[in-house]
Parts: sequence; structure tokens; C-alpha cells
Amino acid sequence: MSDERSCWSEVTQIMAADEIRLDRRTSDWFDQTPQRVLNHSSHYKFAAKMLGQGKRVLDLCCRDGLGTWILAAECGYAMGVDTDEIAISIAESNWTDPRVAFSCRELAELPPGPWDGVVCLDVLSRLSPAGAQRFLSRICQALAHDGMAIVGVPHVASQQYVPEVGEPEAANGYSGERLEAEMHRHFRHVFMFGAYDEVVQPGFSPRFSDLFAVGCRKLI
Amino acid sequence: MEKTALAPSARPDARPPERINDRSLGRHWSYNLRNDPKRLPFVLARYKFAASLASRGKRVLELGCSEGIGCPLLAHEARSYVGVDFDEPAIATAQENWADPRHSFVQADFLGQSFGCFDTVVSLDVIEHIHVDYEDLFFDTVTRNLDEDGVCIIGTPNVTSAAYASEASQRGHINLYDADRLAGAMQKVFHNVLRFGINDEVAHTGYAPMCHYLIQVGCYKRTAGRAS
Repeated sequence: MSDERSCWSEVTQIMAADEIRLDRRTSDWFDQTPQRVLNHSSHYKFAAKMLGQGKRVLDLCCRDGLGTWILAAECGYAMGVDTDEIAISIAESNWTDPRVAFSCRELAELPPGPWDGVVCLDVLSRLSPAGAQRFLSRICQALAHDGMAIVGVPHVASQQYVPEVGEPEAANGYSGERLEAEMHRHFRHVFMFGAYDEVVQPGFSPRFSDLFAVGCRKLI
Repeated sequence: MEKTALAPSARPDARPPERINDRSLGRHWSYNLRNDPKRLPFVLARYKFAASLASRGKRVLELGCSEGIGCPLLAHEARSYVGVDFDEPAIATAQENWADPRHSFVQADFLGQSFGCFDTVVSLDVIEHIHVDYEDLFFDTVTRNLDEDGVCIIGTPNVTSAAYASEASQRGHINLYDADRLAGAMQKVFHNVLRFGINDEVAHTGYAPMCHYLIQVGCYKRTAGRAS
């Protein structure tokens, strides 16, 4: 028994780290819809894997930076941007690694690029249709010529099943066809994916809960 | 006593289902089905993945189509489909089984050859059979057949799964790749490469060394013009 305790003591010393704080949204998810924490982190992992290693990535609407850190750890460097000062202060206190940085700013002023990747999950659906188009244009401007944009939105058909937690949900609903068509205004190559909860698959289907578009080779 | 409903086929007015053309699988797929039938969903899942990403409304070229088992999935939503393979009996089987005005099959050693201008080039379970000395020629063949806006999808067994391959596979796989090496080869000719793995029928972005199968998507040819 003493050997076991000794071994476990070593493990706890290795695994000790400063505690991570969660912002209100993530805390609410854990309390009320914990599946969304799984979905959220899995969708960021998908974005990170699409971008690959050795990339500089911009994460738009990063909240407490959990997804930004997933991008940074996988891709090499990520900067999270959000308008919420409290969320950004939590992110900055949580993630102090040199591979990650945060900036509190309006999304009309993206940090200067060029970026290898821009990740934008669950943002377009909160903007007006015209605002979403302007936002995609700004994303393109921030990207390098060979940069990739990973854009995710909840599928409009799934919204009736999503309990409202913390903040109002999508006002600007997207089908797969609409997301693909709007991305094609900005990117020559658009690859569509959808998720059943945490599982991301190619293509899109009316049954997917979330939609993702990977845009390559920007047009402007 | 409760009446039992007649099964549709037993109804007096039921017509026999409309016959479609009989097909006989060729020797490769007959062998596969007799020896390891689960290979069928494995392989079809790879084609479904490629078709989902880059076939709708596209001119599709498949390099190394063998008996054309992937043609129905790749061609289903495509504008056209061309399959190429140097295996004569396999091409004959493909031509017989998957005849359609939108499909064509060409018997040829595709290395260094041009077959037209295509939106999508797919090559699954092929590159591992090509000697490493011809890797550049293989990708030159891919890109010379691709339109400037074209997309390429390459799939191959992961070198880490070689120990579990059948004897026939082990003899034929003379140039197996890991994910980094395949991506490196793709990145020589494409600015953007998306990496996936497939285990059984499930495509994912998981830990590459444990993927049974590697499938990568290349776009934005390095020879193409740039946006500002």
C-alpha cells in the first residue's frame, strides 16, 4: 500500500498545475448542458486538425480561451480575440504559455495578419446576414494567400432542440447549402463538414447539429 | 384468429421487382469478399468520404480505379467520371459493370499521362504500390490532370498498420506512408493539405499513428495564381 501511495504521490506532483477558471458560459454549459462542452472542444479540435502544425491561427470570439488553447497546442500559435473584457481576463490568467495570446477588441478590427488560419465558430449565426458577409470579408483580409478559414455554425434545423443557456442563440440560421454558397463568395475551395454532436463528418445533412466550412484560396 | 398480412412479394398482384443488369464482380473483389468481406464497407467508406468532399457537379478522374468499385459513389453526383488502371481484366470488369454515358474507363499506365482536365482527382490504395522513385511523377500526373481550381484526394494504408495487413497486401505495398510523409509529398504540389484518418468505416481527424488508413485532401496547386 505504501508503494502505491508513493507512486500516486509522484503522479500528483507531475500532474499539478495552476487551476483553470471557466467563464460564465462554459460554467453554465457544465451545469446545464455538459454535452456542449464536449461538442465545443471537439469542434475546436477539428479546426486545429484541419489547419495542421506550424501555423499562426486567429480565434474569433474566443471567450475564456479554452478553444484557443486547443488551437495553440495543436497548431503552434493562436491568438484569441473577444469583445468581452471579463472573458479575456479569464483567458489571460488561464493560459500564459508563449504559444497563446489574447486580445480584447471589437471584431471590426482584427489583429494584423497575415494569419495562416482563422477560426470562427458560432459567430456568423449571431450576426445579421449582411454583417456575416462583411465579417467573412474581414476574415479573408486577415488571411495569408494560402491561409484557411474554419467557419462553424449551428445548423438551423437543430436550433429548436437547443436549450437556451446563458445568452440568446442563433438569430441568423444557416443550412449547409447557405453556408457553402456564402463561403464560395470568398474562397475558391470550400469543403463542407457536419457534426452529430462531437463527431464531425464530411458533407452535410439535414440531421447534423452543426455545420463547418473549410475555406481555402481566398478570392480577395 | 388474427389475419396475417401477406408479405408484399406474396401478394397475388405483386409484380416481381424490376430486374437491373446482373453484375459479376471481378476477380479482385470476388477474392476480397470471399476472404475478408468486411473490406467492402472499409473501401466504400473511403470512396464515400472522397465523394462527399469533392464530387458534386465535378469532373472526376480516378487514378488506379481497378474494377471500378468506387465508381458508383464517386460518379453518383458528379458531372462525369473517368477511371484509369493498367490492369486489363479489371478495366474490362469495370466497363461491364458500371456502363453509363457519364462514365468511362481507360486501360493505361497512368504515370506521366494526361487524360483531360478534371475538377477532382481521386487515387485510393494506389500510391503504396508505386516505387518511391516515381513519387514525383505520380504527383505530376495528378496535377497535370487537375484544373487550376482542382482538388486531389489521396488515400493509402498507414505504414503503422502494415503489420496487420494480409499477405497479399504486404507483398504489393512497396511504398507505405505515414501521415507526415504523405502530407509532405502533397505539400510539394499543393498549398493546402487537409489530413484525415479512417479506421474501419469512420473518417476522423484523430491521432495519426493509430489510423489504419490515411486520406488527405490537397487543393490550391502551387502553380496556380495567387490572390493579393
